[in-house]
Amino acid sequence: MFRRLAASAALMLCFAGAASAQQLTPSPTLDAIKARGHLECGVHLGLPGFSFADDKGVWQGIDVDFCKALAAAILGDATKVKYTPTSVQQRWPILQSGQVDLLSRNTTITFSRNASLGVNFLGINFYEGQTFIVRKKANISKPDEMDGATVCVAAGSTEEKQATDWFAERGKKVTIVNFQRNDDAIAAYDAERCDAYTAGFGALAGQRSKLKAPDDHVILTQLISNDPQGPTVRYGDERYQAVVRWVLNGMIAAEHFGITSKNVDEMRRSSTNGEVRRILGVEGNFGQMLGLSNDWLYNAIKQVGNYGESYERTVGMDSPLKLPRGPNQLWTKGGLLFTSPFQ
Amino acid sequence: MTAALRRWFYDARVRAWISQAAVAGAMFGTIWYFVANASENMVKAGIASGFDFLWRTSGIDVPFKIVDYTPQNNIVDLLWVGVANTLLVSLLGMALATILGFLIGIARLSKNFLLRGLATGFVEFVRNIPLLLFVFFWYFGVIRALPPPRDSFGAFDTFFLNNRGLYVPAPTEGHPFAAVSVAFAIGVALFLVLRAWAVKRQAATGKIFPIWAAGTALIVGVPLAAAIVVALTTSWSVPVRGGFNFRGGFVLVPEFVALLAALVTYTAGFVAEVVRGGILAVGKGQKEAAASLGLTPGQTLRLIVVPQALRVMVPPMTSQYLNLLKNSSFGAAIAYPEIVSVFMGSALNATGQAIEIIAITLAIYLVAGLAVSMFMNWYNARIALVTR
Repeated sequence: MFRRLAASAALMLCFAGAASAQQLTPSPTLDAIKARGHLECGVHLGLPGFSFADDKGVWQGIDVDFCKALAAAILGDATKVKYTPTSVQQRWPILQSGQVDLLSRNTTITFSRNASLGVNFLGINFYEGQTFIVRKKANISKPDEMDGATVCVAAGSTEEKQATDWFAERGKKVTIVNFQRNDDAIAAYDAERCDAYTAGFGALAGQRSKLKAPDDHVILTQLISNDPQGPTVRYGDERYQAVVRWVLNGMIAAEHFGITSKNVDEMRRSSTNGEVRRILGVEGNFGQMLGLSNDWLYNAIKQVGNYGESYERTVGMDSPLKLPRGPNQLWTKGGLLFTSPFQ
Repeated sequence: MTAALRRWFYDARVRAWISQAAVAGAMFGTIWYFVANASENMVKAGIASGFDFLWRTSGIDVPFKIVDYTPQNNIVDLLWVGVANTLLVSLLGMALATILGFLIGIARLSKNFLLRGLATGFVEFVRNIPLLLFVFFWYFGVIRALPPPRDSFGAFDTFFLNNRGLYVPAPTEGHPFAAVSVAFAIGVALFLVLRAWAVKRQAATGKIFPIWAAGTALIVGVPLAAAIVVALTTSWSVPVRGGFNFRGGFVLVPEFVALLAALVTYTAGFVAEVVRGGILAVGKGQKEAAASLGLTPGQTLRLIVVPQALRVMVPPMTSQYLNLLKNSSFGAAIAYPEIVSVFMGSALNATGQAIEIIAITLAIYLVAGLAVSMFMNWYNARIALVTR
């Protein structure tokens, strides 16, 4: 009897030992980021408001902010990011080959990309929708009136196919001229080669500044597609994917709970809300469960801010783009942002 | 080892076979390893591979095509659109660059100071500017020089020119103008027969037949006559002004004109140098001998200098033609829908199958390049000095 008890106790100890040693699944990506001391982030070649290098050469934008928040969560320092500008064509090989840890660059979430490129989309940081920029003097108020028009577009973007489909479905004849780079397509539109240039409304708001006379143009308000965009990673390494997903959730949740970069210290000291306490690492050990320190989201919010702060600073009312929140607002305030609970 | 086996082993021919087999084996083994390794890693990374994507619906529209294509066609049809556009601009570019290059090369050797100076200036200008800049220079130059659609230049209410392109009438269905290329072939055949007769007659009687004038009349006239007949018997779709632009007819897009102009002027600079080198390679005594026989300077150039210069010029010209073929890929930068733009740009991004698409593109450039080389080698062998 005693011997049997001792044997089962030894077995239990073995399980416990094995279990504690295996608490974290291995994450080669997180290990590599920590070992090299910085995050490798693939961004856009230059899209004001989303990712662009400002006149001092510092990367700015809502997509850049996400890279910074992730670096703050993993490494404790939002400045430890190396940015790799990628074109529409280069982005997939650069992500697939492991040159960057993630893409955070206006990339639309689509089925065939998810299924055949070996990439996963881990949430939505911008609800984009395709529309057109046209000259004011052309007197167009909605895409339906564009029968016979010529449209400049970047080759290989989702917009190229979407515009072709949309006009074909409505029996309208539109000529699509596809350029290798966004900037060349915009330059050709500006030189009147095309009647319109097409991209997401957010991207258009940013790219408008590249036109010679931005005020002579108008961005149509009717959208012809839903183009949700968010951080993109390779297949595999689920623990790293969980970190990326929950940093984004954390930034949105922080806005929901009113945690900002300015009041985060006070909230950490005095908040009585369980979820806020768990987000900020006062209660539970959520950071450690992902192999990070418990102040992971505290660092991200303190150094970068919550989602709303980042939005207003980069594309919103505090930026030259002046985009209203629209769908990119909390669901409680009429938008689409909705995160899963920190429980 | 028996003596026979040893002798066999030390035979030079056997040795050669063994080493060749070893090299071939190593090469194919390496390729096999890379292909197997890549496909294994792609499966591991969840990336689709294989060539099935070629038969998927493309959904990509192309503004300029010379083969039948709509976005409902397959990606492989899109590939042919790109190949046809690449070949169109390359072959036309080769012909025009040769003509322009010849003229500039001869002008480089002119006794006229102004002409010589201009030609030298042109050569130095194009040789020292990157082709990409040149392409953009032409492209934005062409677009800006032309009026927007509302102020189009029109002729007879059937031809229109604006910065969206040159609008010309097109047959409403089918390809009735295939007859014109048949007529062209007939014209060339008639010219060859006439030339054989003229050469024979000149050898027999010494009378010179104006073969070039007659030849031009045949080669241009016969297809032209055919074109007129076809034009009068087909129904036409004539461009009509719509809300934004003209509808119907065929559009020659400014991208094509800009790319062709950039390739022709750029390559002509190099061709001019090849021509100059070839002409200088012909001994001075040849020209003096021709002059002493009473040939005019034009005849000397055409009958004495150029045929001998060609022998020196053909091999470097082959390189220039191959360069032009490859440089046509710069069309991608200005939205000319050639193979790099539609296949490596649009199709690659629609499917994400980079390895397959780049391999196919490489193979197509390789085949086209080898075809140009083969033709030039055949021509080189034909005009080579035959020694008996």
